[in-house]
Amino acid sequence: MAENIFAEIYNKILGLFGQAEPKEDSKNTAVSRLRLVLMQDRTNLTPEIMHRMRKELIEVLSTYVELDKEALELNFEQEREQMALMLSIPVVRAKDEAEIEAAIKEKEEAKTSVEDSDENNKESEEDDEEENTDESSEAKEENDEEDADSSEDDEESDEDSLKQEDDSSSGEQKDSESEDEAVDSDEKDVKVESKKESKVKKEEK
Amino acid sequence: MTGRVIVITSGKGGVGKTTTNANIGTALARAGKKVVMIDTDLGLRNLDLLLGLENRIVYTIVDVVEERCKLKQALVKDKKNPNLCLLAAAQTRDKTAVTEEQLKNICDELKEKFDFVLVDCPAGIEQGFQNAVAGASEAIVVTTPEMSAVRDADRIIGLLEAKEEIKSYRLLLNRYRPKMVNAKDMMSADEVVEILSADLIGIIPEDAGIITSTNKGEPIVNDEKSLAGRAYRNVAQRIIGNEVPIINFEEEMKLLPKIKKFFAKFLNKGKEN
Repeated sequence: MAENIFAEIYNKILGLFGQAEPKEDSKNTAVSRLRLVLMQDRTNLTPEIMHRMRKELIEVLSTYVELDKEALELNFEQEREQMALMLSIPVVRAKDEAEIEAAIKEKEEAKTSVEDSDENNKESEEDDEEENTDESSEAKEENDEEDADSSEDDEESDEDSLKQEDDSSSGEQKDSESEDEAVDSDEKDVKVESKKESKVKKEEK
Repeated sequence: MTGRVIVITSGKGGVGKTTTNANIGTALARAGKKVVMIDTDLGLRNLDLLLGLENRIVYTIVDVVEERCKLKQALVKDKKNPNLCLLAAAQTRDKTAVTEEQLKNICDELKEKFDFVLVDCPAGIEQGFQNAVAGASEAIVVTTPEMSAVRDADRIIGLLEAKEEIKSYRLLLNRYRPKMVNAKDMMSADEVVEILSADLIGIIPEDAGIITSTNKGEPIVNDEKSLAGRAYRNVAQRIIGNEVPIINFEEEMKLLPKIKKFFAKFLNKGKEN
């Protein structure tokens, strides 16, 4: 009898302690939180840039495969010394060759049209600027006009003058106009890309 | 003689930079090395308190820089150990009173006469940190197994790596609580080392004795029985270049219950018979 009572009490006490919620290891939470926060600290990339990178990656990849844009994951991960950019993309289906070619063509067309509109915008802005400088120089003396133009030796102003020449020549040779423009746009592509790179580098610093 | 200039830094405050400085300095001096400690925490000086030298300071680092005294005059000798000296910080001035260049010159002058120049760095990553690091070629990064301290240590390591003068840095894990690590409530030393990917120079267990030793103005390395004191003496040996294995505190903590179990079994056997 006495033994049974003791056993009961013993079990009750055990139950009190044993049924406590299974404890979560707070250490593991700390380690995973730290890993993430250090990744952000070390990369120095703002969420904005990450978002942009994501968007551009989707653009490039969707030419070749149909992907689940919402479920795409882009994260930095650290493995020992090496930092890796982990990209996980659920693929809905692979595109066939014809589709890919069509997508590439579509893209190129879109590119050129965007560039054309960009050029037009730029030119109109540049024209405005030129008018302003012309007016101011006219207000002064005619001799100073050339000096004022040359003092603006930014890259932009150089490009301006080049374009002006192009424009005038294209007006004379209408047949070769499209070819010239194509070459110009290619050159611009390279310039824009290099500018982007330098910007990113600055931000990293 | 060309001594080694070691800066002791952490980023985060309150992780035990000054305690580490006082104890490593004292341990190195006990091992027969000539050691000078520089407190660069202008306006918040404390190294003198931990060494119990607060009443002996006549001149400070600012007096040296502003040429009110010679460098030698400003060095305060330790009460017990003639190998140990302190160059105190000024309590009434701020971090702008000494420049990087001036601190570098002081370090260069001191390392001609001492084996070790230990520079106690203020918390933060601003000018005070830049000053303290200026004259050093090695660094000890003090951290604790807490998220905020580890994050700040990572930042400091990044800054140290960018400095050409710093040839090497090592991690000192302070205020380690093996019981919590065993209960998976604290990051283990291995995990901290892996996250920061830095070499470890030692682990110091959390020890109430640190507080009493500060109260008395006597570094805990002078207490032969203290576990933290032993750990600090081991760190000093590793700095000198002797290979001493890092104490595994988790296992040491587990040992006690093992002994209890052993005796319990023994007693039970006696009852049965």
